[in-house]
Amino acid sequence: MLHIIFGDIEDAVYNTAVFFKNDYEDNWIIEPLVKEMIHDIDHSEVIDGGVIDSPVLGKIPPVGLSGGVKTLILVLFEPKKIFNASTCGDNCAKWLLKIAEKEDRTINLRHIMDFGENKFEIYVQNTGTIVHSMKELTDIAVDYV
Amino acid sequence: MKGIHRIIVQNKRVKYDFEIRRNITVLRGDSATGKTNLIEMIREYANNGSNSSIELVCDKSCYILEGSTWQGQLSVMKDSIVFIDEGNPFVLTNEFATSIQQTDNYYVIVSRESLPNLPYSIEEIYGIRLSRKYGGLKQIYNEFYHIYGRPQPHEEIRPDVLITEDSNAGYQFFSGVCSEKVTCISANGKSGILGKMKEYGSDRIILVIADGAAFGSEMNRLDFYIREHSNIRLFLPESFEWMILDCGLIKNTDLATILASPSDYIESSEYFSWERFFTHLLSDMSKGTYLQYSKNKLNPSYLSDTVKNILCKCFSDIHL
Repeated sequence: MLHIIFGDIEDAVYNTAVFFKNDYEDNWIIEPLVKEMIHDIDHSEVIDGGVIDSPVLGKIPPVGLSGGVKTLILVLFEPKKIFNASTCGDNCAKWLLKIAEKEDRTINLRHIMDFGENKFEIYVQNTGTIVHSMKELTDIAVDYV
Repeated sequence: MKGIHRIIVQNKRVKYDFEIRRNITVLRGDSATGKTNLIEMIREYANNGSNSSIELVCDKSCYILEGSTWQGQLSVMKDSIVFIDEGNPFVLTNEFATSIQQTDNYYVIVSRESLPNLPYSIEEIYGIRLSRKYGGLKQIYNEFYHIYGRPQPHEEIRPDVLITEDSNAGYQFFSGVCSEKVTCISANGKSGILGKMKEYGSDRIILVIADGAAFGSEMNRLDFYIREHSNIRLFLPESFEWMILDCGLIKNTDLATILASPSDYIESSEYFSWERFFTHLLSDMSKGTYLQYSKNKLNPSYLSDTVKNILCKCFSDIHL
C-alpha cells in the first residue's frame, strides 16, 4: 500500500534529481515497469540502461529524464527511503499506486496530488488513516500542506 | 522592475515563448512538460551566451538561482528575471521572502508546494504545454497556460455564509452590505479561510471573497477542497481596493490607463504584491474627497446607498 506523509518532514530526500543522479543504476532503467513509466510520462523509449530516445531531446542519458520519472524510479528501487514526491506531477499518481501495489512504499507530499476518480487505498501517516477517495484524502491533506 | 517581459528561448529542438507580468511567477503542472529543460537552457545561455547554441531573446538578463550559495548569487542580480528550479528548499524560507522583497528582479519559481511566504497571484501560476501554433515543424514549441482562472461566480449565488479574507475595511464593507440572512465573518487572513469553511460545514452555501493578487499559495489545497465540497464558491478579485478603483467611483484621468496595464506602473521593489499597490493608489486618489480611504477603518461614505449600489454592481451575480 502507498503510505503518504503530508507536509514538511526532515528525513525525506528533498532534491530527488540530485539523489537520482548519484544513485541510479543502469539495470534499473531496463526493468519492464520502468520502461512503461518512461513511455507513459516522458513519451520516450528505453534503448538500453544508459540511453533513452526522447522525441523532444533526442538520445539522452537517464539523468535527462523528467523529474517525476526520476522520483518514481527512486521510489521503486529505494524502498527504505522517503522521497519528496512533490517533484511528481499528477500524471505520476497512478504509477505511485502501482509501485506500492505489491510492497509498501512511503512518500512525502508537500502539495495535494490528484489520484483520480477511481477508488484507491492510501495510508495517510499523519493521522493513521486509510483513505479510499480524493474526498477522504483531501479532507486530511488540507491541514498539512 | 516594471512591465511585461517576453522571453523567447530556443535551440534546434525546442522553443519556449512566454511573458512574465509580475514579480513572482510559479510554474507547476504535470511531469515531463519541459519545466526543468527550460531552466537548463536558461542556465546554459547564462553561462555560455550564444556559444551554447541557445538563442535567448528578452529585454532583461535571465539568470538561475540555486544551491546553498543563493544569497551571494542574488546579491549581484539586478533588474533581471531570475529562474529557480524545484529542489531548492531555500524558496520556502523567510530569509528568501525577505531578500527578494528588497530586489528589483522578477522571479520564476518551479514548485508544486504552496510557498506561503510569497504573495503570488492566482493568475501567475502556469503550466507548460505544447503549442499547436506551429504544429508539424521539427522544433517543439512550448507555451505557458494558466493553471487556475480567476474564480468568480458565473451563476447567481445567494450565500448563507460570506467569509472575507480581510478583517479591516473589506470585511467592514461586506458586513454592512449583507442582509440579516447572511452571516458575514472574517477569516483574519488567507490561512484562516479553510478553518472557517470547515467550521460552517457543508449544509450552507458559503462564499469566500479574498485578494486574488496574493492568494496563489492557497490555491492548490482550496481547489481540491472545493472540488469535493460543492457548497463553496470563490470570488477572487485582485483586492477590495481594486474593486473600488475598478467600479467607476474614483474620478481620475490616469486611473483607466493604470488599471488596463498595472504591470507598467507597479515597481516590484516597492510593492511585493499588487494588492499593496492598489491600496496605495486608492488612498492617494481618494485623499481629500468624501471617499478618502483608510484600510484600517472603512470610511462610512462607502456604506451610503449611492456608493454601496455602485460597488455592488462589481459583483451583481452575488446576492447578499
